Amino acid sequence: MKNKWTLWALAAVLAMGFAAAEKVHIMWSGAITGPTSDAGKYYAQGIEDYCSWANDTGYVAGVEFVCETRDDQYNNANTLRNFEEAVDRGDPVFLGYSTGGTLQLKPLVQEVGVPFIPASYHIGNIDPPDNDYIFLPIASYSEQVIAVLEYIAKVSPGAKVAMAIHPSPFGRAPVEDAKKAAQDLGIEIVEVQEMAKGLDYTATLKRFENKGVDYIVYQNVAGPVANMIKDAKRLGLKIKHAGAHYAGGPDLLRLAGDAAEGFLWVTAYYMPHEDNAAAKFVKELGAKYGRPADTIESVHYPSGMLAAGIAIEAIKEAKDAGKKISAQSVYQALLQMNWPNKLAVGPVTYSKDDHVGVDQLRVLEAKNGTFEPVTEPFSSALFRKVHYGK
Amino acid sequence: MRNPWTRTGNYKTSYAQDTTIFATYSEQASLVVFLIGMLVLPRFLSRGDMQILDLILIYALAVLGLNIITGYAGLINIGHAAFLGVGAYTAALVAPYLPFWLVLPVAGLVAAVAGAVVGIPALRIKHLYLAIATLAFQLIFEWAVGHSPALEQGGAMAMPRVVFLGYKVGFKNHHYFWYYVTFVVLVIMAFGFRNLLRTRFGRSLVAVRDNDRAADAMGMDPGRTKVFAFALGAFYAGVAGALYAYWSRAVVIEDYSLMISIKFLAMAIVGGLGTLVGSFFGPAFLELLDINMETFSYWIKEIYNPPGVDVGSAIRPLAFGLAIVLFLIFEPRGLANWWRLLRSYFRNWPFKY
Repeated sequence: MKNKWTLWALAAVLAMGFAAAEKVHIMWSGAITGPTSDAGKYYAQGIEDYCSWANDTGYVAGVEFVCETRDDQYNNANTLRNFEEAVDRGDPVFLGYSTGGTLQLKPLVQEVGVPFIPASYHIGNIDPPDNDYIFLPIASYSEQVIAVLEYIAKVSPGAKVAMAIHPSPFGRAPVEDAKKAAQDLGIEIVEVQEMAKGLDYTATLKRFENKGVDYIVYQNVAGPVANMIKDAKRLGLKIKHAGAHYAGGPDLLRLAGDAAEGFLWVTAYYMPHEDNAAAKFVKELGAKYGRPADTIESVHYPSGMLAAGIAIEAIKEAKDAGKKISAQSVYQALLQMNWPNKLAVGPVTYSKDDHVGVDQLRVLEAKNGTFEPVTEPFSSALFRKVHYGK
Repeated sequence: MRNPWTRTGNYKTSYAQDTTIFATYSEQASLVVFLIGMLVLPRFLSRGDMQILDLILIYALAVLGLNIITGYAGLINIGHAAFLGVGAYTAALVAPYLPFWLVLPVAGLVAAVAGAVVGIPALRIKHLYLAIATLAFQLIFEWAVGHSPALEQGGAMAMPRVVFLGYKVGFKNHHYFWYYVTFVVLVIMAFGFRNLLRTRFGRSLVAVRDNDRAADAMGMDPGRTKVFAFALGAFYAGVAGALYAYWSRAVVIEDYSLMISIKFLAMAIVGGLGTLVGSFFGPAFLELLDINMETFSYWIKEIYNPPGVDVGSAIRPLAFGLAIVLFLIFEPRGLANWWRLLRSYFRNWPFKY
């Protein structure tokens, strides 16, 4: 009799072994080296740590996540190779990175029907055609720029604004929408300047000054923005500076020092120095997985976490609904998602017609070496009107 | 007596014999075996492997073009990716209206016109100055695309899906289909490359490279020869660009940037400047090096990943740079020279003389 129970116990243990957690692969392809790797390396670490946290806490019962962060070196051919490998393996969702890589993959993403969550918040990623399977984690650059213009119009009615943009689709995307919004807001966009990879912006800034520019709005990455605002400080200009997600953040403070004081930055992410659940969560994870201070301080670390979080949440919802985890079930879960996440200022919500996760944004201002919120979370009033005519 | 199957000595008695493509029947036979091997190769490779192989073949075509400009004519070209881009954007514009087999030569011809225009400064300048002129073309190309609404300002221009003789190309067969297309194009254009030196234009290229004043004195026109080199090299790049556009399914400016131009130069140097086989070895070596280094870097990350220092990720760019430096120092004639030495060894083995 005793042997019988031993056999039953052994069979139960074996059965548990066979019913071990289902392994679900999630791949991220982005720049850990090469251009924009200053953001990519932290973004990758955010993904890795969120996955580890989901596994360690058993966040999705019966699922073990195998998250791979691939360094595509900002090379579209590498991104393509990584994406196709993920599709061949049957990954239910893919995490992307650059604007160019995402735009290039759009037709293929549409063809294979695998949900794709990029780190690029370029509106073209989710504009038609081939836009069914791409989901932005937070509001687009276009919406961010219009949100900051709305803030400028509120605090400085009739202000003259210059835009300093990255010479790429990433940089140019918000320009037309911003011009339309400026008309509605009663402010004037006097010039749009593409920023070369120069180290001295004296001529540009003096021209802005001569045109009576009150604000420069940046759609760029932190490096060139830091150079320009340092030059503006050196020249003693009174022009104020503002920028979209990748233009600002702790990276800008590190690069520009006290020249960043007063910089207005629009993003959907909470800051690690804030006293809230998001900051606590980010710090805890950073400490748990041995990340250095610069990782924990970077806004790209929680950005990576949110991207991984959206993917994992969609998998959880598909699993909870009793569906087999696949690209289609995760896609359906994403379309119905309403996730009150900890990392950003609003819930991640999607629908068939809305592929923007967090619709809310905040304007933060650089004060004494940190970014402090100067607005409550809000949604841009004009973006949908100027971009979609709604 | 000359053995038609093996080359046991130099028995050539005429200029025509000296310029034959194949010295022996065994060389012809080995080429036929190689071509058959390449045709059946996809049966043994996965879709992922095919993707890499396709990329190597497309890059090989581009490097053939660079070898005409830089290898044969000795004109440093830092804007080769822009020629590729001209071909790719041409393909994106005409592909909705033309079958792909017509898109490829059209893209090549448009790139050739661009090449001839870029080559015009070569009538008056050379060396470093010409290199800067090609760099200028690269930058002008990127700027022009970036400011052209018709070209999506450098954003993606999707390529149409191809149907060929009722065969619809989709996700599963994409890389297999483009492998065969690229392979056929490459074989044709590689024969063109090989035959180039047998023509008076080809010999002019080399003569101008070696000493343009002497070439001028011998009745050649160095300026026209250089423009011709740019046009022909750009034609190869344009065709490669169109193939790349189809292969990657969309045209995006980042694929034709200065970094890619530098990568092509690295491929030409590592393969062996001015050599046919080097144009294959260079892209294959650097692409496979990168992929293997990627795998190696993940392995390194598994066993040694100190916080804050991404040792694994640093290995890939390090390996790329190191490979180029080591080749420049220890084997400036590239992998083609190793291939030559290997062939020489087997030609004399076992003791033909």
